[in-house]
Amino acid sequence: MSEQEERKTILLVDDDAVFVEAVAAVLEARYTIRTAANGTEALESVAREHPDLIILDVMMDYISEGFDVARKLRMDSATQNIPIIMLTGVDQMYNYRMEVDESWVPSDRYMEKPVAPDKLLAEVEALIG
Amino acid sequence: MSQPRFAYIFAPALYGRLQWFGRLRWFAAGGLAAASLLGPYFGITAVWPSLFIVACVIALYNVLLWQLLRLRKQHVHPFVNLRYIAVGQTAIDLAALMVAVHFTGGIQSPLLPFFAFHMTVGTLMITARTMYILAGASCLGAAAMYLLESRSILQFHPINPGESIEPLSAALSMITLVIALFGIVYLANSVTRSFKERNIELYRTTDQLRERSVELQRALTEISEIEKRKSHYMRISAHQLRSPLGTIKTSLQVLAEGYADPATERGHKLLSGAVERVDTLLETVNDLLELAKIREGILKAPWSRDVMLNQVLADLFDSLGTHADDRNIELVPDFVGVAILDWGVPPDLVHAFENLIYNAIKYSNPGGKVTVQLRIESEAAVIRFIDRGIGISEEYVDQVLLEFVRAPNAKQHAAEGTGLGLAIAKEVIEAHGGRIAVASVAGEGSTFTVTLPLHHVPKQHEPHAKPEKSDA
Repeated sequence: MSEQEERKTILLVDDDAVFVEAVAAVLEARYTIRTAANGTEALESVAREHPDLIILDVMMDYISEGFDVARKLRMDSATQNIPIIMLTGVDQMYNYRMEVDESWVPSDRYMEKPVAPDKLLAEVEALIG
Repeated sequence: MSQPRFAYIFAPALYGRLQWFGRLRWFAAGGLAAASLLGPYFGITAVWPSLFIVACVIALYNVLLWQLLRLRKQHVHPFVNLRYIAVGQTAIDLAALMVAVHFTGGIQSPLLPFFAFHMTVGTLMITARTMYILAGASCLGAAAMYLLESRSILQFHPINPGESIEPLSAALSMITLVIALFGIVYLANSVTRSFKERNIELYRTTDQLRERSVELQRALTEISEIEKRKSHYMRISAHQLRSPLGTIKTSLQVLAEGYADPATERGHKLLSGAVERVDTLLETVNDLLELAKIREGILKAPWSRDVMLNQVLADLFDSLGTHADDRNIELVPDFVGVAILDWGVPPDLVHAFENLIYNAIKYSNPGGKVTVQLRIESEAAVIRFIDRGIGISEEYVDQVLLEFVRAPNAKQHAAEGTGLGLAIAKEVIEAHGGRIAVASVAGEGSTFTVTLPLHHVPKQHEPHAKPEKSDA
């Protein structure tokens, strides 16, 4: 088995291009990175090719866009098993859990921005190796 | 709700009174019936069956009255009808008493004092004027009865059989009756007048209180809406500040921890990206500060007189000309007339118009045209900022003037932008007494219409205002 085949794919969804660049720098050594700048692009990318992991920012074009994307992915049987790391602000997590309640769809991990590179790497490795 | 003419007693109170008298009436009917049954045993023959019939009639119309009261309770305007009922039942009671008096000796009847009872009771429910009329009618009725009986046109029914009409005592009784009835109405009215007036006041006050509490309710709802909007605004502001900070920190950490080498292209991208985000942060902070200041009424300069908008716009054309050229956008003035504001703050107007023109240029496609149209329409300057750029979709048109709202197509067309430019422009224009409106079709362009009244006077310069304090 060559290294190329073993490389897992991660989809990075965030509207800040600089942030995306920074995270890509951390992860590119071991994973193939695809990017999307908003919810629509993210869903299109997933439809084209399922990633092995999705790193998702909460607020892009509107306040809870990240949650909407996560919810859509979890409702679809084809994509519901793709692990998701949600990047949020602490208060967003708390508040939106209160607001969203039963339509709340948990992600696998929540991380607070700004995210420390090695912590992120550790979480990714824990989820998809 | 305007005060009804006879609002001297509350409808519920009048209703209660009518019910109470309704109950008393049973006693009256009962008493008359008893008198009619017992009278003959005492040699008083005239009372049977006459008083008994009167008693039955009274009982009958009392039943009707109760039915009427029950119906009125469900009626939409209970008060007016209750008043008619009150007058009606007093008049009928007096008529019934008149008949009973006739059969018990007319002007020499022992039942005469009951007229006084009705006068008192009536004055408590009805206006004095109506009671005087009823008193007069009762006296006339009594006088007519005496005259008819004395001429034998009507039969005389004395209590003591064989008793005859004595003109002198009859006349005296008549005089006493008149004095008594009118006197009682007068006395009862003056005693109850203050009570009635207080009722009117109470009625008015209750009405006012009701209005006030409705207003209060409305104000409280407004305040809680404002509070909600404020905290929503603060949450978004905090996010807008935290987001670039997060990117800066992460970028620098990536470099510091060796995930990227500053000497490489990627490293360089991250460093300059972090610097860009710092700029974004500074811009956002500055814009937030400016928005807050304008909202507090702190403008960039003291108010000036006679601000010429044509000049303001022309100067902007000069300063933004190169910027427009860089983007291959044609900036076109279209001014008809000279618009001079009585009062204005030029630096703030410059900033507002600059934001609007800058936006128009930003969201235009290369080779496009931005027109700034100035007209004077009914004592106001109307400035239209017209572009043929990417436009705004229907769902976002109402929101673009709010803080931090950037439509998705705007973000795609130009990633940078604090989302505050239009909010600031709106505040400035409203501080000048004006309005701003947006019309747009996605993909075809937008028109922002600014209306500034020429003669708006700012609060602190109003003629009767307190002496002005200088703006910080």
